[in-house]
Amino acid sequence: MMRNLPAAALLVAALAIPLVFGGNGYIMGLMVSGLIVAGVALAWALLGNLGGMVSFGHAAFFGVGAYTSAILSAKAGLPVPLSLLAGALGAALCSLVMLPALRLSGPYFALAILAYAHIFKILATELSSITGGSAGFQRFPTLPTIAGIDFSSRTGSYALLVVMVALCALVYRAVKRSHVGTALRAMAESEDATRVVGVNATLLKSWMLLLSAFITGLFGAMNAHIINFLEPDYAFSGNWSVLPIIAAIFGGYRTILGPVAGAVLIYLFDQIIAKELLPVGHQILLGLLLAGMILVAPNGLFGLFQTRRKGAPHAAA
Amino acid sequence: MFELLQQSLFSGLLVGSVYALVALGIALTFGAMKIINLAHGELVLLAAYMAYVIESRTGWNPYAAIPLAFAVTALVSIAIYLLIERIREHRELNSLILTFAIGVILTNAILLVFASDVRSTNSPLLQDAVSLGSVYAMNSELLAFVVSLLVMAGLWWWLRNSWYGRAVRAVSSNRDASMLMGIDPRRVELAAFIVAGILASVAGVALYTMSVVQPALGPALTVKAFVVTVLAGVGSIPGVFCAALLLGVTEAMTVTLASSALQELVGMVLFLLVLFFMPNGLFGARARRG
Amino acid sequence: MIRRTFLLSTLLATSLAVAAPALAEEIAIGAHMPLTGSLARSGQAFNEGMQVAIKVFNESQSKHKIKVTVIDDESQPAKAVTAVEKLNSDGAAAIIGGYGSNIVGPASDTSNRLGKVYITGGAVSDELVARGNTHFFRINNNAGYQRGVEGLMQELKPNGISIVASTREAPALLAKGLEESLTKLGFKVTLHPFDPAITDFKPIINKVKLQDKSEIIFMSAYENDYVGIIRAAKVLKPQVKAIVGAWSLATPKMYSDFPDLMQNVIGTTFLPFPVEVKDEEGKKFAAVYKEMFGKEIEYASTLAFVETMVLSEALARAADAGTLKSGGLLAEMKKTDRPSPLGRITFNAVGDNPNFALSMGQHRDGKIPLVSPAASATGKIAYPALPW
Repeated sequence: MMRNLPAAALLVAALAIPLVFGGNGYIMGLMVSGLIVAGVALAWALLGNLGGMVSFGHAAFFGVGAYTSAILSAKAGLPVPLSLLAGALGAALCSLVMLPALRLSGPYFALAILAYAHIFKILATELSSITGGSAGFQRFPTLPTIAGIDFSSRTGSYALLVVMVALCALVYRAVKRSHVGTALRAMAESEDATRVVGVNATLLKSWMLLLSAFITGLFGAMNAHIINFLEPDYAFSGNWSVLPIIAAIFGGYRTILGPVAGAVLIYLFDQIIAKELLPVGHQILLGLLLAGMILVAPNGLFGLFQTRRKGAPHAAA
Repeated sequence: MFELLQQSLFSGLLVGSVYALVALGIALTFGAMKIINLAHGELVLLAAYMAYVIESRTGWNPYAAIPLAFAVTALVSIAIYLLIERIREHRELNSLILTFAIGVILTNAILLVFASDVRSTNSPLLQDAVSLGSVYAMNSELLAFVVSLLVMAGLWWWLRNSWYGRAVRAVSSNRDASMLMGIDPRRVELAAFIVAGILASVAGVALYTMSVVQPALGPALTVKAFVVTVLAGVGSIPGVFCAALLLGVTEAMTVTLASSALQELVGMVLFLLVLFFMPNGLFGARARRG
Repeated sequence: MIRRTFLLSTLLATSLAVAAPALAEEIAIGAHMPLTGSLARSGQAFNEGMQVAIKVFNESQSKHKIKVTVIDDESQPAKAVTAVEKLNSDGAAAIIGGYGSNIVGPASDTSNRLGKVYITGGAVSDELVARGNTHFFRINNNAGYQRGVEGLMQELKPNGISIVASTREAPALLAKGLEESLTKLGFKVTLHPFDPAITDFKPIINKVKLQDKSEIIFMSAYENDYVGIIRAAKVLKPQVKAIVGAWSLATPKMYSDFPDLMQNVIGTTFLPFPVEVKDEEGKKFAAVYKEMFGKEIEYASTLAFVETMVLSEALARAADAGTLKSGGLLAEMKKTDRPSPLGRITFNAVGDNPNFALSMGQHRDGKIPLVSPAASATGKIAYPALPW
C-alpha cells in the first residue's frame, strides 16, 4: 500500500489542478506544456533506465511524430486520433535507422542520436513540398471533440495528457516488471554474464529504443495538434532533448514517477519563478539546478526518497 | 569549375584548421579522462568574447587578448575539472550531463553579460584580402591557419617530451598501469584540462578574428569538435588535424558541388558513417569502443 | 555593459512612471518578445523600440499612462501562447506581438480566441492574414519588402541577381517571393539557400563570381550572415555592381559595428540617417532611443516603435470614448490612419497594412541616405559601388 503512495498523491494532484486552476488559461497552458515534457522525460528515462543509454537527441522522435501526424491529418484527411497513432508509429519507424547506434558505448550513442536529430531537422527544412519547409506548417486540425469532450480546450488537452502520461507510465511499469525488464537490469550489471545465459542484449535494447521513440513521437504529435503549428526549428528544437533530461535527472531517472513529477516541477519552476527572477537568461538557473543534482543527488528527488526507504531495516516491503 | 574547386579546397582547409583547434581540447580531455567536455564550445566562446573586450576597449589587435582569454578559460576549465572529480557514480554518463549543464550556465552567463549582439573583429588588417596564386582568403584566416599549426606542433612536442605530456599519454593508454608507475592521475588530468583551456583560448581568439560570434554559438562548436574527434579516432594529434581539415573541405565541397543548405547534413552523415563503419576513426590507432 | 544600461534605463523609466502625476489613467498592456533563443537579437531590439514608444507616448500627454509587461517567449511558439494567456489573465488591454511569423501565428490565434487585440511588426508571412482573425493587426508584410527590392532592381536593371538566403523562416520566405517576382519581371535570378550554421561564405560567393556572373548580390538573412557574406565578397571580389540586403542591414548600428564592411551596401529601411527634419516623429524616436540605450536606432526597434505608438493612440482614443472596457479598442484600431516613420499606416479588413512599402537606404560614410524609390529619395544612389 505504502509503495503506491507517491502515485496516488500525483493522481490526486492531477485531479485537483483543473478544479482549482481550470479557469486560468495561463496555469493550464503551463500544465499542458509541462505534461508534454513529462511524456518525453518518461520515454527518455525508459531508454536510460532499462536500455542503459543516454540520448541527446529525443527531439528527433518528437519532431518526426509531430510532422507525421500533422501531415497525415491535413493532407490525407486521417482523423486526428489515428494520425496521433501514426505519428507515434512514424517515430518508432525512424528509430529503426538508429539501430546501428546501439552498438556504440555511452557518449558515442548520445551524440550519434543528436546527429540524427540534426539530420531530420535539415530534412524537414529541405523537403518543403511535404513539410512546408522553414515557412512552417500551419493549417491542420486541432484535437477533436469526442463524446462531448472538447480536447482542444485547455482542460480537455490537460485531461488527455494526464491519461496518456499515466498510460505510458503503466506500460513502462509493465515492461520493467516483465522478464524483459529483469533481463535488462541484469544486463546493466554485466553484459557478458547475460550473454552467456542467452539473452540477446542488442535485441532487447532495440525494443526499448523503439518503445521510447514511440512514446516520444506520440507526445510530439499531441503537442503539434495542441499548438497547431509546426516548423523545423520548433519541432526538432534542442529543447525537446534537453528539458526531458533535466526533468528526468531532477526527478530521478531510475524511477517511473520521478521524470513525470520532475518535468512538471521543472517546467513550472522555470516559467513561473526563474522567469520572474531573470527575464533574460533564466535557463542559467536550470543549468545550476542540473549541475547541482548530478553532484549532490544523481538519483534525483524520488531516488533520494527510495534510498531512504530501502535503508530502513525491513521496511514495509 | 576547376577554379571553384580550388578555392573551396583552400577555404575548407582554412576553416578546418580552426575546427582542429577547437577539437583538440575535447580530444585531449577525452584521452586523459574518457570524459567528453560538452562545455568546451562555451570555453572557446568565452575566449572569443575576451578578444572582443580587449579589442573594443583598447583597440589592440584581438590576438593581444590571448593572455586574458587564457586566464579566464584556464580558470573555468579547472573549475569544470574539480566538479567532474566530485562525481561518484556512472562517471562517464554523469559527466556528460554535468558538463552539458555547465555549458548551459556559461551560455546564459555570456548572454547576460554581453547581450545577444553579433560580434567580430573590426581590424582592417585582419579582414583584408590576401591571394595565393588564384585562391583568396582573409589575412585573419591565414594567420589562424599558421597559429593552429604552431599550437599543434607545440602540443605534439609537449605530449612527447615533457614529463606531464608523457604522463598524459601514459594515463590515456592505461590508467591503472600508470598509477603503478607512480603517476598521480589527478595531477595529470588537471594538467590536461589546463592545456585544453589554453587550446580553447587560442581557438576562441582565432574564431573572433575570422568569423562572427554570438552567445548561442557554444553548442554548435562543441558538436563540430566532437564530430572531428570521432572522425579522427582516439590518440593522435595529426589525426585530429587531418580529420578537421577533411571536415572543412567536405563542407566547402558540398557548397560548391551541391547546395549550401546541405552543408551541415553532409557533415552529420559523414560523422555517422565513420561512427558505424570505422569504429577506430579514419586516423585512429586504437579501438575506442570499450 | 549594454545590459546594465538597459536595466538601468528600464528601472529609470519605471521610477519615472511611478513619479508621474496620479491623475493619469493607467492602461496595462502586454507584450511577448523573443528576448532569448534563436531570435534574441531581433527580440531585444523590438523590446527597446517598444520601451521608447511607451516613454514617448506617456510624456506626450498627461491623460493616459500606458504600462507594458514584457514576457520572454524564448523564441518558442508554446511559450508565446502561454505568455498571451498570462498577459490576458493579468488584465492586459491588448497584446504586442513579438518576432517571427512562426511564433506570432499561434500566439495571435490564442489572442484572437480570447478577444484581445494583437498587433505585430515582426511577422510577414501571408498565411497570417489568410486566417480571418478579427483581432489581428500588423504594420508590415512580405509584400512590402518585396516591393522595395523590386523597385530598386527595376531602377538599376542588373543583368543578373544572385540571392543568397538563409533557410530560416523570414529570409527564406522573402527569398522565395523575390525569386518568383523578379523572374517574372524578366531578371535572371539564381537562388543560393544556406544553412544558418554556415560561417564561411567564400564557396557560395565564388559560385556567384564564376558561375552566376550576376551584377547584384541580394542577401536575405540576419546580421551575422551579412558580415560573413560581405567579408567573403570583399575577399573574392566578384564582378558585381552592388551588394543589397534585406532588414537590419541599412542601420547606423551595423555601420558603427562593422564600418569597413558597410560602405555602399544597400538595404531596406524607412528612415534616412541622420534622421531628416521633415519627420518629427522619427527624429524624436532617434533622440529618446539614444538617451535610453546609448546607441543609434535599429531597424527592428523602429518597427516596434511604430506598432506601439499606433496601439497606444488607439487605446487612448478608446479610453477617451469610454469604450475601452467594452471592446471599443477594436473599432479604434480599424480607424487608424496616421503617418509614421514607416509611411502611412491603415489596416484593411484582415488587419494588414496595405501601404507598407520600404525604401532602400545606402551606407555612405556613416550616413544612410534613402536612394530608392525616387519619390522618397534623399540622395543619389552610388552605382556601381561596393564596400571595397
